[in-house]
Amino acid sequence: MKTYEDLAGDGGSNIIEQVEALGEKLRARLDRIKHKVALMSGKGGVGKSSLTANVAACLIDKGHSVGILDADLNGPSICHLLGVKNSHKLTIDDRGVQPGIGSHSIKLMSMDMLLSNPDSPVMWTEEADATAVWVSTMESTALRELVADTNWGDLDFLLIDMPPGSDRIDNIRSLIPELAGVVEITIPSLLSQHIVSKSITKNNKMKVPIIGLVENMAGYTCPHCEKEGPLFEGEDVESLAKQKNIPYLGKIPFDTRIGRKTDSGSLYYMDNKDSVTGKAISSVVDKILSSIQ
Amino acid sequence: MKFLCIPCDEKMETQTEGIMPEEKKNLVMKFKCKTCGHSIAMLTNKFETEFVSKLGVQVNTTAAEAAGTPLGVVSGALAEGKEELKKGAPAEDNIEWTEDAKERIQRVPFFVRNMAKKTVLSFAKERGITVIDGKLMDEVREKVGM
Repeated sequence: MKTYEDLAGDGGSNIIEQVEALGEKLRARLDRIKHKVALMSGKGGVGKSSLTANVAACLIDKGHSVGILDADLNGPSICHLLGVKNSHKLTIDDRGVQPGIGSHSIKLMSMDMLLSNPDSPVMWTEEADATAVWVSTMESTALRELVADTNWGDLDFLLIDMPPGSDRIDNIRSLIPELAGVVEITIPSLLSQHIVSKSITKNNKMKVPIIGLVENMAGYTCPHCEKEGPLFEGEDVESLAKQKNIPYLGKIPFDTRIGRKTDSGSLYYMDNKDSVTGKAISSVVDKILSSIQ
Repeated sequence: MKFLCIPCDEKMETQTEGIMPEEKKNLVMKFKCKTCGHSIAMLTNKFETEFVSKLGVQVNTTAAEAAGTPLGVVSGALAEGKEELKKGAPAEDNIEWTEDAKERIQRVPFFVRNMAKKTVLSFAKERGITVIDGKLMDEVREKVGM
């Protein structure tokens, strides 16, 4: 009787060839992007997305072309921050889907762009008893499609806005092995540092390159007089960076305007470059640039 | 996975002309031995069907076709996705798909959707039908489905 190897093909589905073709498509997209950087934190609510958007604006201001992949599949916020409305019509052809174009020509792809209504949740057509394993597998595939099927074109930077937690970095690392590194973000609170510390440890153990640690919401800056005051009680974040042997990229004071666009449709950074917070963002970006270039 | 016809010692071929999976149901595949004509069916359970569907590969399609289906898995699996994601069956010469038919073909698991489209189109062409609607899809399933 013939064996598996005696029969030509792999069962009629060319699965190996298909997987290779999907890999080639992903590679072709990534090869046109010079640097891929993930912004992450083990902790939610530390301002990752707002900071990602403003880091992108700062990079644009410094002459780079930038795209943002919203990897927070279940809590996407980049469309909102960059002014891409839910009514944005998707353009899909055999070559892929066109990214959204947000403020300052930042390209983006987010689950929000695929949903029929602004308040639609990301739900998969699973049966009610679908297990977490299937949902997780689905999300991994969705992430691959968002990266590989978006016509990013030529970019200097692809910033990846990660969801809270440290589990999704495994997916990103397997999709983008040449990842320049991750920027870890924490706020000064002890609770945040405690959780981000675990994220850093995991990345170190997995040999995910860490560009450095940003201390976000490091004090409060009055938008009127620029006087600074404390916002969270916490220990020195710089010492956490030293303890983990990773670069400390600096502190960014909280400014109430940072999470929203200005009346001109600009991101905070563009209209407030000379503010204390604007200068802090620029300094962090300079350190990211010197780290990876 | 491959299937062997033991009496003939030959590989059984996928019966692409006979695939019309019921929407959102478990996958049924038919295989036929070209030498003796014997057919068998592979019945997958829910977990096997779901697992394959999430890999992003398609059954009995070319690598080029698989790579040329942007957001293929997401479009089929997102419960509240935009209409542009649900464009459904591609346009064929002189054959039109009604909205109902497009929606139904979209509900067929992604990884066998192309096969199902081929089956319906072939059924329509053989009969000179130019509009594919839900009724015709019921007819196709009755004829070739399992």
